[in-house]
Amino acid sequence: MSELTFEDAQRELEQIVERLERGDAELDEAIRLWERGENLYKLCLSRLDAANGKIEELARRVEDRRPA
Amino acid sequence: MKVEAVEYGDRKVYSVASFNRGVGDWLARLPTVWVEGELTELRRHARWQSVFFTLKDPADGACLGVTILRSRFDALRLDLADGDRVHVLGRPDLYEARGDFRLRALSIERWGLGDHLAALERLKRKLGDEGLFAAERKRALPRLPRRIGLVTGNDAAAKRDVLTTITSRFPAARVVVAETYVQGPLAAPAIIDALRHLCAAPEVDVIVVARGGGSFEDLLPFSDERLVRGVASCPVPTVSAVGHEQDTPLCDLAADVRASTPTAAGRLVVPDVADLRSELDRSRAGLARGARRSVDRASQRLERAHERLGRAPALMVERKRARLETAAARLHALSPRSTLERGYSIVRGDDGIVRTVTAVGSGDALEVELADGRFGARAE
Repeated sequence: MSELTFEDAQRELEQIVERLERGDAELDEAIRLWERGENLYKLCLSRLDAANGKIEELARRVEDRRPA
Repeated sequence: MKVEAVEYGDRKVYSVASFNRGVGDWLARLPTVWVEGELTELRRHARWQSVFFTLKDPADGACLGVTILRSRFDALRLDLADGDRVHVLGRPDLYEARGDFRLRALSIERWGLGDHLAALERLKRKLGDEGLFAAERKRALPRLPRRIGLVTGNDAAAKRDVLTTITSRFPAARVVVAETYVQGPLAAPAIIDALRHLCAAPEVDVIVVARGGGSFEDLLPFSDERLVRGVASCPVPTVSAVGHEQDTPLCDLAADVRASTPTAAGRLVVPDVADLRSELDRSRAGLARGARRSVDRASQRLERAHERLGRAPALMVERKRARLETAAARLHALSPRSTLERGYSIVRGDDGIVRTVTAVGSGDALEVELADGRFGARAE
């Protein structure tokens, strides 16, 4: 599940909500969907809150440089 | 011409003249080429056979001496002045007496802004005909890229604008910056190289090419055919934010999305974290609501089933009673009572119902049944 991209997780979450709101799922299925939805929600949230925001510099290629 | 060397032991030594001649011969084998530059230091004298000038590279000031036969130069009637942009067709040449390398020109063409624009227009049409700018080639940008590649110069403005916008909208964003030349002859290959490196870096889901405004010529590398093709064939979706709104370098057309400014590019590649959070919260509320609805529906169904289960025995008795009543009604319809009510009677003797006169003898005791009862009688 953690390999899901944010978009895939969000899309699946929205599909689950839609499915549940139609109310045609069997109870077992509904509970399973709900748990899955909660996990997807947490996954999405963790992507938003990830404390790993950072800016890296791609190693410069010194050999390309020449005096201007 | 043969190049002679004098040998001192195991060392071969050339005279200056023979060395120059050797190099000159070698240079003379190179093909003719077109070279573009700014004309400076034009020297033309009636006494001289040749006209001399220096071609300067406007990007970095590199210089190249040029000679052209005066008669040829005059025949071109170009009326050139210092600073004019020209294309020179010539071959490399060594002035052997001085060991000076220069370009021996065969022809010169003025190359102005109009020519630039016309060449760009031709290239635009050619690449357009190949479908490089077609709308159906454009890919959607990821909603939330794992990492964002940024190709930019080390000039502060464009880079800062993109980074500030990204991090203010989405603090958890991860950006990989590839600094590179963004003007001059090295820019196009350097940017292509940067794109390639960013595509090879793990998890880069979108790439922004950003450069602030500049002169028409500063932005020319972004219309370089190699770069435009590089952007079009980039395996990762790209956003091009080059120059200002009114500039449209060809790489803007080849990119998946064109941003009018570096700041706009920053807004395109990451969502606003607050918006995203409220979207997620809405989804989650829907999730709980939906789950509750499913449970409610299941429990209503259960309730209904239970109710029907409770009603079943009474229903069964009721149904049996109804059947019985139907049978009774039919039975009643068939009974002779209704006939008796119309004035008929049933006469019974010792042997049961009397159906013929011969079955009764004089003095026999009989029983007569009417609708409301019976009485005894005797035959006469």
